[in-house]
Amino acid sequence: MNDASQLSLTQSYGPIFMIVAFSLFIAVTMFTLASLLGPKNPTPEKAIPYECGSESTGAAHVKQSVKFYLTAILFVVFDIEAIFLYPWAVLFQRLGVTGLVEMLVFLTVLTAALVYCWKKGALEWQT
Amino acid sequence: MNLVLLLSPILIPTVGALVLMMLDAFQKEDGGLAMPTALLHFTAAAMALALWQRGVPSDTSALHGFLAIDKTSLFLDATIALGGGIASLLAGGYLAEHKLDRGEYYPLIAFSTAGAMLLVSASDMLMLFLGLETMSLGVYAMTGFRRGSPRSAEASLKYFLLGSFAAALMLFGSALLYAVTGHTDYAGIAEVLHAAPANAAADAAAAIQVVTRSRISILAMLLIVIAMAFKVGAVPFHMWTPDAYEGAPTSTMAYMSSVVKAAAFGAFARVMLAVYGDAASAGSAAGWPAMLAWVAVATMTVGNLVALTQTSVKRMLAYSSIAHAGYVLLGVIAAPREGTGTTAYASVLFYLLAYTVSNMGAVGALILAGRRGAESVSYDDLAGYARRHPAAGFAMTLFLLSLTGVPPTVGFFAKFYVIRATLDAGYTALALIAVVNSAVSAYYYLGVLVKMYMRDPAPGAALASPMRSGYVTVAILTAAVFVVWMGVMPERWLDLAREAVGAATAAAPSAATAGGNAAP
Repeated sequence: MNDASQLSLTQSYGPIFMIVAFSLFIAVTMFTLASLLGPKNPTPEKAIPYECGSESTGAAHVKQSVKFYLTAILFVVFDIEAIFLYPWAVLFQRLGVTGLVEMLVFLTVLTAALVYCWKKGALEWQT
Repeated sequence: MNLVLLLSPILIPTVGALVLMMLDAFQKEDGGLAMPTALLHFTAAAMALALWQRGVPSDTSALHGFLAIDKTSLFLDATIALGGGIASLLAGGYLAEHKLDRGEYYPLIAFSTAGAMLLVSASDMLMLFLGLETMSLGVYAMTGFRRGSPRSAEASLKYFLLGSFAAALMLFGSALLYAVTGHTDYAGIAEVLHAAPANAAADAAAAIQVVTRSRISILAMLLIVIAMAFKVGAVPFHMWTPDAYEGAPTSTMAYMSSVVKAAAFGAFARVMLAVYGDAASAGSAAGWPAMLAWVAVATMTVGNLVALTQTSVKRMLAYSSIAHAGYVLLGVIAAPREGTGTTAYASVLFYLLAYTVSNMGAVGALILAGRRGAESVSYDDLAGYARRHPAAGFAMTLFLLSLTGVPPTVGFFAKFYVIRATLDAGYTALALIAVVNSAVSAYYYLGVLVKMYMRDPAPGAALASPMRSGYVTVAILTAAVFVVWMGVMPERWLDLAREAVGAATAAAPSAATAGGNAAP
């Protein structure tokens, strides 16, 4: 059993290592060839940074409003709620009353969080 | 119903935190949540004591092995809830005085307390992680609560990054243990680790597997020790401590240095004893007490030596909390020893409670000494303070003497029991180093007293005068009651701690039977 598990471990992870090695090989080869064979003729126009083909404006580091994070976090929270609800719905019959109560507790906590966010103004975009 | 009863010490702060959130969201103006939060904590402490008195229900199958609700966890729950309650009161005074009083703080404290209780009750690696994160997330936010201050933000970020790193290490260690044992619960892991030598003789392949398992379990042990050392602030994983403590609002510092430390130590001792406690069959991983001994020496020595050079009392208390982590480690090191181990484990619990009340009191006295715009943080700020304000000065004196370890206070007995346990376990050199360190620490604690009683403030310097806050006064009085009560009747409290761990060792799987004949 031990030998078998050892063997299957190598077997199952072997292809992954092969893919890693192969992709490394391709990437390194391409970059090396490009830098060795490619023509180099830098001009000032070519050296300036650009975005989407046009000249870039402003600094590269822009401050993001904290609202984006709030929205992202709320999205993740409710995403996770959905992830929990699906398997619960599938197993609803087997989980029975205990499952229902547990899910209700979970949803109550989540609703409390939503109400809190709402009252605190986290859902307002313009404040 | 049984489940609700078992979990009630944890459920009270959890449900309470939700209610506090609603109160905060719907109230017209900020403030006024300190008293409900404190009452919530004290109720949780009372519930833990009631469960203790009533006898813990023996049928804990409803917990499915995820949590161990026994007297050890109830003792620690009560310690945590008491500390959290005092911290809420301190926050009520401090935040209002320094115009930081926004309602979010109080649900955060309650959530952290619930997490801390989960942490000390955990008997499964998953619960351990969950408790650790629930506790820490609240504290990260409370650390950065002084939003306008870059120092507070720096402290919060530093604590958050290093704390997440430690949590990741802990998770990695748990994953390795699961990989080699197929269990996440302490009992299951220990059982597989213990069973290993018996199968070893069967065939060569099994023997190889046993060796692999033993090596991986050592690696997992190291990762868990490192993660816990981060949380308790033991050298060499203490770098975040002074900055995080100094930058945090002082009431958060009180919570971090007492409650978080007590919870982390409680969980640390439990996981080490339950998984690696049995010297006979844990293999080379059973060498952890010897390894921790070096950590303890480094922690005590570095903490004390650096504390000597501080000019800020707040920073000095941060380093002193590192030094105290070293003293508690002594008890943890002695705990797996057969025979004397139980008393050593009890001395750890005693120390955690004693340190919680002493440190809460000391930080509380420091909070009391700072008015808005003139927070007393340095030794110089406190010059002549006790002569101008004898009562407030006396409060500071009492708690600092307790931290030093002067007899009528609890600090002396806490150190005494831990050092005695170290001696009983045969670590004479370690005990000696602890005593020397304790003597060194007197210099910087008593330095505050010298400043307060014997020095005059520099001409033109702002005079420290105590703020007026019923909350802070009540918090300090509560802490003082425990410091004196436990100092006057230490044996009674030690007996309680002994009772707490006695139940735990009886319930621990096979530690007594399997390791009985192999004890040195």
